Amino acid sequence: MRIHGAGGPVVELVEVVRRYAGGSGAPALAGVTVAFAAGTFSAVMGPSGSGKSTLLQCAAGLDRPDGGRVRLAGQELGTLREPKLTQARRRRVGFVFQSYNLMDSLSVWQNVLLPQRLAGTRPDRAWAREVLHRVGLAGRENDRPGQLSGGQRQRVALARALAARPEVIFADEPTGALDLGAGREVLGLLREAVDDLRTAVVMVTHDPAAAAWADRVVFLADGRVVSELADPTAETVAARMTAVTAA
Amino acid sequence: MIRLAIGTLRRHRGAYLGTFLAALLAAALLAGAGLLLFSVLTATPPADRFANATAVVSGAREVTLTTTKEKHKKGKTKTKTKTKTERLSGAGTLPADLVPRLAELTGVARVVPDTAFPVELTTAAGPVRGADGAPVIGHGWSSAALTPYRLRAGHEPAAGEAVVDADLAARGGLTVGDEVRITTRTGVHRLRLAGVAAPAGRDALPAQGALFLADGAVTRVSGLAGPTAVAVLAQPGADQAALLAAVRAGAGDAPVLTDADRVQADLPGALPDYIGAISVFGFTIGITAFAAIFVLTGTVALGVRQRLRELALLRTIGATPRQLRRLLGMESLVLAAVAAMPGLPLGVLVAHLVAARFRHLGVVPAQFSVRVNPVVLLLAGCAGALVTLVAARFAGRRAVRVAPAQALVETVVAPRGGVAARAAVALVAAAGAVAVLTFVPLGGPFGMGMTFISSALLLCAVAALGPLLVRLVAAVPGRLSAGTGAAGWLAAATTRTEVRRTAAVAVPLVLMFAINAPLLLNGELTARLAEEQQAARLAGATTLVTGAAGLPLDTAARVAALPGVTGAVATVPTRVVLAQEGKPQDHAAQGLLRTGSDGVLDLAVEDGALGGDGTFAASADLAAAYGWRLGDEVPIWLADGERVVLRLSALFTRHRGFGELTLPAALVAAHDPRGLVSTVALRHSDGAVSERIGQRWPELRVVPTAAATRTGDGNQQGAWELLVVVSLGFTAIAVVNTFAISAAARRREFADLRLAGATAGQVHRLVDREAVITVVAGLALGVAVTSAVVVPFSVAQDGVFRLVVAPATYLVLLAGVAGLGLVAGALPVRLVLPRRGLPALGDR
Repeated sequence: MRIHGAGGPVVELVEVVRRYAGGSGAPALAGVTVAFAAGTFSAVMGPSGSGKSTLLQCAAGLDRPDGGRVRLAGQELGTLREPKLTQARRRRVGFVFQSYNLMDSLSVWQNVLLPQRLAGTRPDRAWAREVLHRVGLAGRENDRPGQLSGGQRQRVALARALAARPEVIFADEPTGALDLGAGREVLGLLREAVDDLRTAVVMVTHDPAAAAWADRVVFLADGRVVSELADPTAETVAARMTAVTAA
Repeated sequence: MIRLAIGTLRRHRGAYLGTFLAALLAAALLAGAGLLLFSVLTATPPADRFANATAVVSGAREVTLTTTKEKHKKGKTKTKTKTKTERLSGAGTLPADLVPRLAELTGVARVVPDTAFPVELTTAAGPVRGADGAPVIGHGWSSAALTPYRLRAGHEPAAGEAVVDADLAARGGLTVGDEVRITTRTGVHRLRLAGVAAPAGRDALPAQGALFLADGAVTRVSGLAGPTAVAVLAQPGADQAALLAAVRAGAGDAPVLTDADRVQADLPGALPDYIGAISVFGFTIGITAFAAIFVLTGTVALGVRQRLRELALLRTIGATPRQLRRLLGMESLVLAAVAAMPGLPLGVLVAHLVAARFRHLGVVPAQFSVRVNPVVLLLAGCAGALVTLVAARFAGRRAVRVAPAQALVETVVAPRGGVAARAAVALVAAAGAVAVLTFVPLGGPFGMGMTFISSALLLCAVAALGPLLVRLVAAVPGRLSAGTGAAGWLAAATTRTEVRRTAAVAVPLVLMFAINAPLLLNGELTARLAEEQQAARLAGATTLVTGAAGLPLDTAARVAALPGVTGAVATVPTRVVLAQEGKPQDHAAQGLLRTGSDGVLDLAVEDGALGGDGTFAASADLAAAYGWRLGDEVPIWLADGERVVLRLSALFTRHRGFGELTLPAALVAAHDPRGLVSTVALRHSDGAVSERIGQRWPELRVVPTAAATRTGDGNQQGAWELLVVVSLGFTAIAVVNTFAISAAARRREFADLRLAGATAGQVHRLVDREAVITVVAGLALGVAVTSAVVVPFSVAQDGVFRLVVAPATYLVLLAGVAGLGLVAGALPVRLVLPRRGLPALGDR
């Protein structure tokens, strides 16, 4: 396992509280303070309902906390409103979600360039080609997502995230819909993004084997950070998960 | 299975709302139009003037033609006899000696000759008509016993006297002793009001006012040679069957009517005329049924297509194609049944509203009322359910048929199958439209109906080839949009790749434009041409003389003979029946009385010359349709059923708003019960002529021709406009509906876009651009269909090639449809995706 000399935190959550819509009952996040350093690969784990997806969404500015602060790449998200929030997000953040979130009506190539087009910046085509080559989809530029396998679609999503040179990629169960081999490929690519491109990756997963690709694992339970693990292996993660779930 | 169906309906409440709305409105329209047609087909005369008679012998009320055809087949000769009838606008008479013959029969208490003839009643204050403009019908006093009318005031009419019904007396402010004037074809008669009579329990019969003369005065005033009907009143306790048999034997060929049929012996003009209403409502149901089925099919297909993924999922978890088909079928039936519950009552409401409006416009008789029939409602509901079912099956056939493993992939890549079938449907429909437009004479009375059928067929072709056509016509606006920023570029890409969705939304726009534009434009064209021809016909006339109630022919002749008048033409409107290959056909005609110089009435005679007695003239179109040539001797049945043979002496072309034949005025006046001159067109250079007419006949109206050329069939135009309003409303809802369904199903796509970095504003702009592309494509196709129909119609009318008949109407319709499409496209996404909202990540 590699240890990276990490810079300052690219994502920082301080005492973040998020209640479920409807209000009553235990909050999804009950005062979470956690930071993710630039150029590191972090995994967020926890039992179902522990608030891991909510944490990711609050960190990425896809959801608004009811309390606390979120800083993304040095910017206080709480002060931003739409559409400034979207603009901040598309400059600094990439997403890789379980359901791919590709536009079916666009080709692979168009999907990869979409965020830059939406940002109104001149798309860096050479870089986009390079990224597609890295994820092993060179030559599939004109295919539509519907013509690709699940693993290939997730790699397109990853290429799209990388093409915009984000500071952080948020991944929510990126391997959830994939078979073992395809999942491993995607995790390898995420790892490469961290190692080669110095992109931070924050990944929510329930799979200890996937979490083992990270530099650090944060464990959530009942909306709180309950544990952390550096240099995880599938075995240590599984053991810690069992402990967390039992607690 | 039904539980699963209801379950899916519940779960997809939002997605089904659109289909539900379409099914509801379709059921309402089908029910409404069905009820109207049913009501008019089963409409019965509101009252029987012969209620007190045992039997009525009727004069001729229709022309009956019998043709015998001999067929030689396998050495055998078959004779086939066909009998066709056409109703007369007037009434034939019976021989006067029938009355004494019938009176001798045993069991007969009384035989009453009934003469019914239209009269125009005027008082010092002006013309008097019955309720809702009902005509006033004249009779001899003995006819009063048939209803019976009983005197409420005064006494029976003697010579020079009249009795009117209580309703007319009230409307005209008449009391016994007043002087009234009646105009019939025999002239103007001044009478003293002897009394007021009324049927039992009411002031007058509905739909006809009654005026009674002394029996001895009837022949002179009516100009009729005999009674129009003869009523038989039986002695109390007489053997009815034997009596009827005897009456039948005595009446010879004349029909003997009893019970509910007796009313048919009344004067046709005294009964509400539902013939025009039948054709109007027939047309209404044609349009609404087409629009309803078209829209419902499209909406159901759109809804099912959006659930292909779910259907495919069901396949993967083990549902058989048969189960899926049943699921879709159940769903449609439940949906249609639920939609019919509010839909059918709404249809009843629609029928009442349309009927009220049509009564107001005078398209249907004032006595027309909507009859709510459960069978019609049930049929409408079933029709809606059937359409929903078939459309759902058809739209779901792909998802149902594919192999489960393939199912999930298939749903993402739009199925491309069925192109051949679609092309075949489109080809057949388009060929049908071309055939109708080419072979049916659009200038004839069925022109409007035929153009509607061809636009309906072309619309089917467009719907069948929707994706293909939309891809084609959306290319240009798409390319233009692609150059306008990220949203424009995206819109171009999505409309191109999701061409089925684009087509599904564009087709209702095509429908909205191409159904309504030809109706409006063709209606406007015919009205305008009629007006133009009217103006051209009267270009040579200086003044027009009309009476509030029409002029007797001899008054017209005296007006024409005034000093200073150099030329005059009096016209007597009537209807005649012609035999077209053994089938009697009703046509509008005019009796013409011409004096002095030619050219007062310019019919644009093409060939021959307008002749005198024993001749007639016909429009060139009519002569061509019947295969007549100049000099042909042609049998013509006049309004009272009298058959005359006249020689064709001239062919003319300016027949619009006039009539297709002209006959000698005296002949028409003698055989049309009304027989009055509607207009006398005069040519004179002497300005004093008008004053002279005013002095001698103060009741006549004299106007310069230039001020009085506006005619046209206002009723008919009003009816078209109402139809267009109904269909515009329905198709507009369809447009909004499809846009909303389409937007509701795209939440996920919008959310994905937001995740990819699009602001809500950018998504809004994307959808706006898509709406622009869709609207442009839809209108382009709509204009194409409209032109394909309007141009041949215009050419058929007067040989002029017109693409845009009425620019103002065209532009308003174009702008209206475009505006609606843009708003309907832009609005839903703003509700689904608020500008300040965060990207929605739920429901995935």
